Amino acid sequence: MKFPEFAEFQHEAMATRFALIIADQSPDYARQAATACFRELERLESELSRYVESSDIARANRLNLGETIVIGEDALHCLLLAADASLATDRAFDAAYASERSPAQPADAPLFTLDPLTHTLTSHTARLHLDLGAIGKGYALDRLAAVLTDWAITRACLHGGGSSVLALDPPTGQSGWPISIGEDPHQRILLLTRCALSGSGLAVQGEHLVDPRAQTTAQRRERTWALAPGAGLSDALSTAFFVFSDAEVAAFCATHPHVGAALAGADGKLMTHGALTARLD
Amino acid sequence: MPDSFSSPVTRRDFLSTSAKLGAFIAAAPYIARGAEVVAKSDQLNVALIGCGEQGRILTNAALKIPGIRFKAVVDIWGYNRTYAERLLKKFGHDPKPYEDYRQMLAEVTDLDAVIIATPDFKHAEHTVAALKAGKHVYCEKLMSNTVEGARSMVLAARETKKLLQIGHQRRSNPRYRHAKDRIHLEGRLLGRITNIAGQWHRAVTDDFGFPNGQGIPEAKLNQYGFANMHEFRNWRWFKRYAGGPMSDLGAHQIDVYNWMLGSNPTMCIASGGVDYYKTHEWYDNAIAIFEFPTKEGTVRATYEVLTTTSAGGGYHEYFMGDEGALKISENPKYTKLYREARAPEWDKWVTKGIVASPTSGEGAPAPVKPWEKVGVKKLGGPSKAGTVDVRETAALSAWDIPVTLDKAIHQPHLENFFDAIRLGTPLNCPGESAFATAVTILKINESIAAGKKLTFAPTDFVA
Repeated sequence: MKFPEFAEFQHEAMATRFALIIADQSPDYARQAATACFRELERLESELSRYVESSDIARANRLNLGETIVIGEDALHCLLLAADASLATDRAFDAAYASERSPAQPADAPLFTLDPLTHTLTSHTARLHLDLGAIGKGYALDRLAAVLTDWAITRACLHGGGSSVLALDPPTGQSGWPISIGEDPHQRILLLTRCALSGSGLAVQGEHLVDPRAQTTAQRRERTWALAPGAGLSDALSTAFFVFSDAEVAAFCATHPHVGAALAGADGKLMTHGALTARLD
Repeated sequence: MPDSFSSPVTRRDFLSTSAKLGAFIAAAPYIARGAEVVAKSDQLNVALIGCGEQGRILTNAALKIPGIRFKAVVDIWGYNRTYAERLLKKFGHDPKPYEDYRQMLAEVTDLDAVIIATPDFKHAEHTVAALKAGKHVYCEKLMSNTVEGARSMVLAARETKKLLQIGHQRRSNPRYRHAKDRIHLEGRLLGRITNIAGQWHRAVTDDFGFPNGQGIPEAKLNQYGFANMHEFRNWRWFKRYAGGPMSDLGAHQIDVYNWMLGSNPTMCIASGGVDYYKTHEWYDNAIAIFEFPTKEGTVRATYEVLTTTSAGGGYHEYFMGDEGALKISENPKYTKLYREARAPEWDKWVTKGIVASPTSGEGAPAPVKPWEKVGVKKLGGPSKAGTVDVRETAALSAWDIPVTLDKAIHQPHLENFFDAIRLGTPLNCPGESAFATAVTILKINESIAAGKKLTFAPTDFVA
């Protein structure tokens, strides 16, 4: 049976619009799968958004020093991924960057710890302020892809607010999902398969990117993109790359072969590193 | 050891590298043994019957309560059952999976309680069986899709002397309890309540489907009372299984009407229809009018559930009195208190912690710009003595409820149930009380079907 080339579905969550593009499925089946994905998205928002009063993240942000709470499976895994990204980037990405750190605390001491065995989170500051804004949408895309896998849908492309894209297998006969980065005349098209790309910049939310290491506004003005195996990771890394110097981005990609970066210059030209270089050449 | 950055990319798991705990060796500084929050004593063994969406919500909430151990999960659909089993195993539980609740009740002998989140038409059957097996029961609302079913649940709880809590979880929500106990009953801040308006407006949703290869054979569906997979997945919309949106959504809110007033209606008239959806039996839009008797006089109430638009302010219950009004919702963004100009000032209630002055949003002072001087009245400000300053009608003064729900939404209601088992704490929504709500809801649908006003006697609400 031949199906329409794509079926696209959209849903608003996490203060942005998510979209699923599903290929090679009947429109009805694709719609049912998208409905399942969007129910999962709403559930994730209720667990991960700091703006939802009863979410795990909002509860964590009300903890006193030394207090512990049980958190759900997704908050645990998203925070573990955030911790991983924070350590790997020397806190250029830090989901707890807005927390208050007492003068006695070393700058690199974690402000929260996780116990995967008991699903607990412990605060090590009097004012923990977790914000998954730079990783949560990507993490959600990863989870939606898992739902699609349950539905045996392998050919799909997902994006959250246009800032993170997760490409699964491409449509039959295609070599990848076309994704563009950069602005004319330097715009480039990538064909992505089974990987994620995220972008960070100042165009939408202004000077909202903070360098957690210096606790000041990041110096960079032009966009950055990160390519990674999963969207939670690419989301976090695109923020870290915005905070990094060009040399730090290059060094990071050199030591992480599955990761790539693209940095826009003031003239709009793109400089690429790591796994992204090969895809653009 | 793979980490999040270099794990081999396979179709199945490349997107969920974070899900492998072994991947987080790199995150070791963030890993530490948490303080013990689970008490070993007073452990309660529970089973879950019904592992669908609501069952998952209750499971996730129960997992945050110390001392709860899931011993079994029951669902006729393997897809849901496996999900629940896997989730619980991640939290260190080892539940036995069952397709048939009877087998579970016969084999798992060390249960204290059963949580039931099955379709409404199964609530009575499952609840009565669990009670008669000697287990306490937490059952989702609506109690039953028939008055007879709801009554049988109350009678079984009485006969077995076991606890029956129905899942009208707003009754345990600390903000709702504060509103009833402190604002309404203690402070009398609303004065005499004369009207209630409530609503749940929800945007159009698609029907649920199921993954290829995960369908239940029709013979098995028939065995458990379902016609086919479409009705199994969308049972809320079909009359043989449930009561439609008035039951799914309205039951929560109309229960709050009864609970807040301490009264049941004497009259109901309603309108509704299958106006929009082509594949449903139940009314997609319905509007009801009630009269409630109270000691202070009649309260006239309206309620509407719309499933074709999210316009009009979401979901809330709005209690309106001659001195103040309370707009309350599970979502704090829809929650606000208003003081009528004729009512005494509320400053003393702020001091007592009953109400709070808003710091942001509606009713909050306008932010002072850097070039403005605090305390300098702007053009058009309050009138001087002896002069009349004419302008548009002033808005009611808006206030906040100083209570935060610091838990999963269903957690306090489950905690109340478990506390009742352990400590004898009174249930917040025992079967007898929920029976009155079930009757109210079922009568709304009856009024729509009959196209006429229905009147009630107090005995109609007694099981």
